[in-house]
Amino acid sequence: MVNHQVDLPEETATSRRRLLTSLLAGGAAVVAAPFFAGRASAEEIVNAPRDPKDYPTLNDALKRERQMAATYKAAAAKATGDEKFALTLLLDHHDAYVDSLKGYLGTDAVSGTEAALASPSGSFASIAPQMAALENETLAGHTARLGTLVGIDAAKLLASIITVEARHAAALSLLGGASPLAAAGS
Amino acid sequence: MTTENTSKISRRSMLRTSGALVAGSAVLAACGTEHHSVARIGQTPEIEKLPDVKVTDAALLRTAMSVEKMVADMLSDKRVTSLADAKAQPIISAFAAAHLADLAALSPMVSARNAEPVNEANQKLMSSYGENALRLVGEGKNPTDVLALTHALESLVAATYQYFVSLTTEPALRGEMMRMGAKSARRAAVAAQLFNGGIKALSDQLNEDGTVVTGTIATFPSAFGPLNAVQVALGPEIPEAPRANVLMDTPSLNSILY
Repeated sequence: MVNHQVDLPEETATSRRRLLTSLLAGGAAVVAAPFFAGRASAEEIVNAPRDPKDYPTLNDALKRERQMAATYKAAAAKATGDEKFALTLLLDHHDAYVDSLKGYLGTDAVSGTEAALASPSGSFASIAPQMAALENETLAGHTARLGTLVGIDAAKLLASIITVEARHAAALSLLGGASPLAAAGS
Repeated sequence: MTTENTSKISRRSMLRTSGALVAGSAVLAACGTEHHSVARIGQTPEIEKLPDVKVTDAALLRTAMSVEKMVADMLSDKRVTSLADAKAQPIISAFAAAHLADLAALSPMVSARNAEPVNEANQKLMSSYGENALRLVGEGKNPTDVLALTHALESLVAATYQYFVSLTTEPALRGEMMRMGAKSARRAAVAAQLFNGGIKALSDQLNEDGTVVTGTIATFPSAFGPLNAVQVALGPEIPEAPRANVLMDTPSLNSILY
């Protein structure tokens, strides 16, 4: 007859120490979960359509768009013919951005008017570089704002504005005499 | 007493015959085709479950890389470069280089999210419209197709990033996406102005009946960035017939690289 010696563990699987360790590990996992947000998927952001924390940032964007609209309005008032038509087109775009941001913010939108950022005068070609610079500033500001927005609807709105303002900046730069590659930023 | 088996069916021959029958049946069964019965209510075929994939930020970045590579490849394709005139040649080569630079810039963003960077064109999009567009440019041999295609491709990239903003979970990454998208939007505007320049071309040029003049590209097609399919007319000029219209869609769930 062969006898086997079986070594039993010093403590059983359901000891108090193990129970406490498991509870601590579980708690740590719950606390660490937000840090794995990078693995989150698009499904989760549909639950964050808008966030009041975004309103100050969006009001900054609204203020900038009012300033841009006032600047184009001043320029268009002095222009004639096709040049007036072109400046009015750009004014219409910025007015549309003002309206869309106001529409999004509703009663949380800051009211009032803004002064023009410049007093452009002269031919379209002569004021285009100045307007291109203002469009570039607006574009950079909106892109920085976009990176801080929590609500997805606000992010989508600002992204759709950025796409066209980038076109404004490049076209104005080109029409102002820059080379195509310089205007494209390449 | 002698027992004589007078029966013609011996035990041995019976076993042999039975064995042959069983073997024959097995062969016939193997040669037969599957029999499909008429479907009945409550009876459904077994459906293979699709893999569970999620549109993560890493998947979007990988897809953006594949789109950047696709556009760089298309702008460098011999069918396009051989048609480019002196005005378009330096533009398309600089734009192709810019897309490769953006590809390189995206790579560390993908790696930082524990995913594999991509260095190949998006095959789904290439087979959907990329190959067709290049084939039409090659067949048409029309130099104006070069800038029209360039404008369409840059608009596509800008729209791709704009669309991806709505799927991206990290706010800071949305800003990065649009930084890339804005670059393509700028290039699209320059391509449009080189195609038909001047302030009259900033918006759609209209006929008296309100239709858009054929063969023109608006530098600012709308006040907000569009997400609809980018359309471009390419290929041979056929008398009294419209040119082929290629529709280019931004990547969707079936062309995202998970």
